[in-house]
Amino acid sequence: MSAAPGTRLLLASVLVVATCGLVYELIAATMASYLLGDSVTQWSLVIGVYLSAMGLGSWLSKFVVKDLHARFIAVQLVIAVVGGLSAVALFYGYAYLASVRPLLFSILVIVGTMVGLEIPLLMRIVGEGQELKDTVARVLAFDYVGALLASLLFPLALLPHLGLVRASLLCGLFNAVVALACARVFREHLARPRAALTQALLVCAALAAGLLFGGRLERLAERELYDAPVIFSEKTAYQRLTITRSGEDIRLYIDGNLQFASSDEHRYHEALVHPALAGAAPRRALVLGGGDGLAVRELLKYPGLERIDLVDLDPGMTRLFGRDPLLVRINRASLTDPRVHVHNADAMRWLEEHVRSTSESYDVAVVDLPDPNNFSLGKLYTASFYRLLRRALAPSGVGVIQATSPYLAPRSFWCVVKTLAAAELHPRPYHAHVPSFGDWGFVLVSPAPRPEPTRLADVPLRFLDDALLPTLFVFPRDQQPPDVDYNRLNDQLLVHYYEEDLRALPGRGGRG
Amino acid sequence: MNRRGFLGGAAGTVAAAATCGPGQPAPPAVEFVGPEPERGHHLREGTWREGPVHETIHTDVAIVGAGVAGSAAAWRLRRAGLADVHLFELEDDVGGTARGGELPRSRHPLGAHYLPTPPPGCPALERLLADLGIILGRDRHGRPEYAPSAIAAAPLERHFGRGRWYEGLYPAAGETADEAAQWTRWHDHLRHLDGRRGSDGRPLFAIPVSRSSAELRHLDAVSFADYLDDLGFTSARLRWAVDYACRDDYGCTLAQTSAFAGLHHFLARGLEETRGGFLLTWPEGNARLVRGMLDRAGLGDRLHRGAAVVAVDPAAGELLVHRPGDGRRLRVHARAILWAAPRFVLTRLLAADPLAPGALTYAPWLVASVEVRTAPRGLGARLAWDNVPLAGPSLGYVVATHGEPADARRPGAVLTYYEPLCGDGPAELAVQRRRLLSADLSRWSDHVVAALSAMHPGIAGEITSVSITRWGHAMIRPVPGLLFGPALARARAPIDRVRPCAADVAGLPLFEEAFYQGSSAALAALVDLGRAAPDALADELL
Ligand SMILES: Cc1cc2nc3c(=O)[nH]c(=O)nc-3n(C[C@H](O)[C@H](O)[C@H](O)COP(=O)(O)OP(=O)(O)OC[C@H]3O[C@@H](n4cnc5c(N)ncnc54)[C@H](O)[C@@H]3O)c2cc1C
Repeated sequence: MSAAPGTRLLLASVLVVATCGLVYELIAATMASYLLGDSVTQWSLVIGVYLSAMGLGSWLSKFVVKDLHARFIAVQLVIAVVGGLSAVALFYGYAYLASVRPLLFSILVIVGTMVGLEIPLLMRIVGEGQELKDTVARVLAFDYVGALLASLLFPLALLPHLGLVRASLLCGLFNAVVALACARVFREHLARPRAALTQALLVCAALAAGLLFGGRLERLAERELYDAPVIFSEKTAYQRLTITRSGEDIRLYIDGNLQFASSDEHRYHEALVHPALAGAAPRRALVLGGGDGLAVRELLKYPGLERIDLVDLDPGMTRLFGRDPLLVRINRASLTDPRVHVHNADAMRWLEEHVRSTSESYDVAVVDLPDPNNFSLGKLYTASFYRLLRRALAPSGVGVIQATSPYLAPRSFWCVVKTLAAAELHPRPYHAHVPSFGDWGFVLVSPAPRPEPTRLADVPLRFLDDALLPTLFVFPRDQQPPDVDYNRLNDQLLVHYYEEDLRALPGRGGRG
Repeated sequence: MNRRGFLGGAAGTVAAAATCGPGQPAPPAVEFVGPEPERGHHLREGTWREGPVHETIHTDVAIVGAGVAGSAAAWRLRRAGLADVHLFELEDDVGGTARGGELPRSRHPLGAHYLPTPPPGCPALERLLADLGIILGRDRHGRPEYAPSAIAAAPLERHFGRGRWYEGLYPAAGETADEAAQWTRWHDHLRHLDGRRGSDGRPLFAIPVSRSSAELRHLDAVSFADYLDDLGFTSARLRWAVDYACRDDYGCTLAQTSAFAGLHHFLARGLEETRGGFLLTWPEGNARLVRGMLDRAGLGDRLHRGAAVVAVDPAAGELLVHRPGDGRRLRVHARAILWAAPRFVLTRLLAADPLAPGALTYAPWLVASVEVRTAPRGLGARLAWDNVPLAGPSLGYVVATHGEPADARRPGAVLTYYEPLCGDGPAELAVQRRRLLSADLSRWSDHVVAALSAMHPGIAGEITSVSITRWGHAMIRPVPGLLFGPALARARAPIDRVRPCAADVAGLPLFEEAFYQGSSAALAALVDLGRAAPDALADELL
């Protein structure tokens, strides 16, 4: 049976529609896991919503009774616009909206419904004057071929060569071209052929322009995500490391959360390290986390130090900060200092092994770990962990813990303090203002009670001095401890506190 | 007999799901692991009794069974300085019901998988945990501090109902005001009993259970279901949660468990909310503890694996041992025999037993370790250590890879699936046992995969291995009247030189009971041998 030119065009459009439809879904799922994390849940949720929207679309198709061709072209144009712009919209939405989820699901529902509507419409147009079984067979065959095409094209060609933004724009353009072709070929079926043609042309032109500037759009969008141009981005086995630079300011993000800004990190790292070392003459130091080498840089200012053990999970991180010239300038090559020994291991296991296998203890310990935003990190804030830390410290030793923000995450901060008390570490909470983070909190700890430090050692400092030091330990009236429980390994209350604290914030905050 | 295979042919679910996926992954490897039913069969039929003896051994103490109780006895004797000890284990691997297995992705338990940290007043058990490096030291108040790697970390538990997962093990979603009030009242009830002692000065619910006060022992006469009825606890949600606990700990339903045993589960280590304790666990489960005890016992070649004790003469202190591996047979003369194997096996070997056959009943269990390419998730609460469905006979699965350190993070997981085959009386249990042992490999693996698929649609395509363990006599059932009744006393009583000391003669299937039975019997044997127990812990055990 030979097909009329109209039918051939329609079958070609089935292919385009099916391919693009699946690509939009894949783009949304990728964006969702990229922006919202937690990829398996996001994937399955996106796919579920999309499929049910398609179902809705197919059901709605029975209400379309006349002007099938015009409706088909309109649907095609809606998909071209919404689907084509979906990635750009999501990037900007993530930057500007409190939550990107409603936008994500609106896009999914619109595109899903339209794609679901489209196939039945096509079947009916193709099927005029044909047997049902032939129509269904032909349309579905092309539909499935399209799906196959998409699932191959997306990972192999579109994503690596075009990126998400341009991949979606390109698919949008295909949809628009189909609409344009249909507007021409079926003009005698249309009530207002001229208008349909103009609309389709406009959409084509807009998407083509977007495609041309897509690279720029994506960079702009990323800029919104990161405030500055990304100069390095790598997914290690454990996390995504992103480094941005604007002028002299270099920033490190882990999984999208700011870790330091070179313009004010000296405040953070001086406040982290030096109060603990006031009046101490440490020989052996332990750093848990802190793979950026910045806490180590501060420690190396103490000439008496003979050995520093640094334990950071991610070899990708310590390698980067041991080699990259730009970063090595910031940490003054601290990680390659002969006194520094880097161990890439889980801090909890490493510490347990250490406590079990040696009696060598540390005079000072610096715990500089990412915020407890999940259970694997939350473990490193439990009483069980701090008990290991107490055992690893010399009886006269001292330690310091980065403990989230007492202002942005008060329940988390005071929970850490309480947990340290439960582990018999005599906590002394203090805080400092770090502009890029806000009010940031730390806790001094020691196996034996110690007085509050009053005199800093004689080392070069830019932020701290003896006048400022005692004020760090003062918490104003609006920052008094709330009623919280301590963080146990088997309940990890802190992870819940931290989630609640962040949810209570007006914007997104914290250093992740 | 078919212990291993690749699922094909009749075995539908796994193979079908695995062959239609992209890239056609290999079908999962399926095998039977754990105790070999035919060895039990030979013991029962007495087929290994006849034949020549190749070797005779004289020893101070012979221990039968290298489960928790036998290993604890060996550990204890070694601490007391006694070296002339032989241990005979029927299976080729040690551990008994606390045995472990290994799949490429991880070790996993075949049975017992956790031990709650002991309440105050268990110095001997604490001594063991310190000896094994699980207690690292003590805090200022003298409380033990545990190695984090052994602590089951949050999220601990979740349950599955109506298509999604919820945190914890109480199905609160959709409860009525009355059900919520009952749940609160249940906790008040437990709180009221928590930490109390009887007028005899003993804890109401002690570890080991034999040290419990006499005050509430009468509760052993009633079933837990009747007890809840009497107190007006009618809420189906509450009863599900309590029934789950009974099936999980004892392989018995609410109606089959004694009220004392049920309350013991909730109260013996102090209420969860007040005790600040943990659950200790390892990828291979309590096999870690058994291995630790045996390592420290240092038996060397006096630990005989694959060595079945096939005849016992209590008066002469004589054992006959048959080794199915090489067919060799040993005669053992021992001054004391510690029977750390299940008591019902002894009944079969004795010419005359003061204990009536069938006086103790045991629950059959099905356990399966399932290796998956990607860890399961599901809608709602995140993957926990213990994952329990509300519906069906299974207890769900425990994730053997839950406590892995972050630097060992790899895709995939090993899930250990548990299902007690509950039965009301000896007849029903016999039917369940027959069903367990007669069905073939693909039947059970399909069963397990179907149960997992009900919680995780599509998981079948992720499965790379299924290892099935069948426990015909998995655990002693603490039915009403057992704990403080005459049968158990008779089961426990020494018969000449033989001291029965596995967990079953304590009446509760728990590590602690096996440990205390084994180590107390070891001390008693030392006394029999005229050797004083050398340390302060002796008082606790005798
Ligand atoms: C599926 C399952 C899950 C469990 N989970 C837990 C848990 O999480 N926590 C917990 O505390 N308890 C649990 N238990 C209970 C567990 O049984 C006890 O904690 C404890 O391990 C019992 O140890 P036992 O040494 O007393 O006996 P067994 O483990 O029964 O050991 C007896 C040993 O004797 C050997 N033997 C038998 N006959 C002979 C013979 N004729 N000659 C030589 N050797 C022989 C057997 O092979 C076996 O190795 C579980 C049990 C099962 C079955």
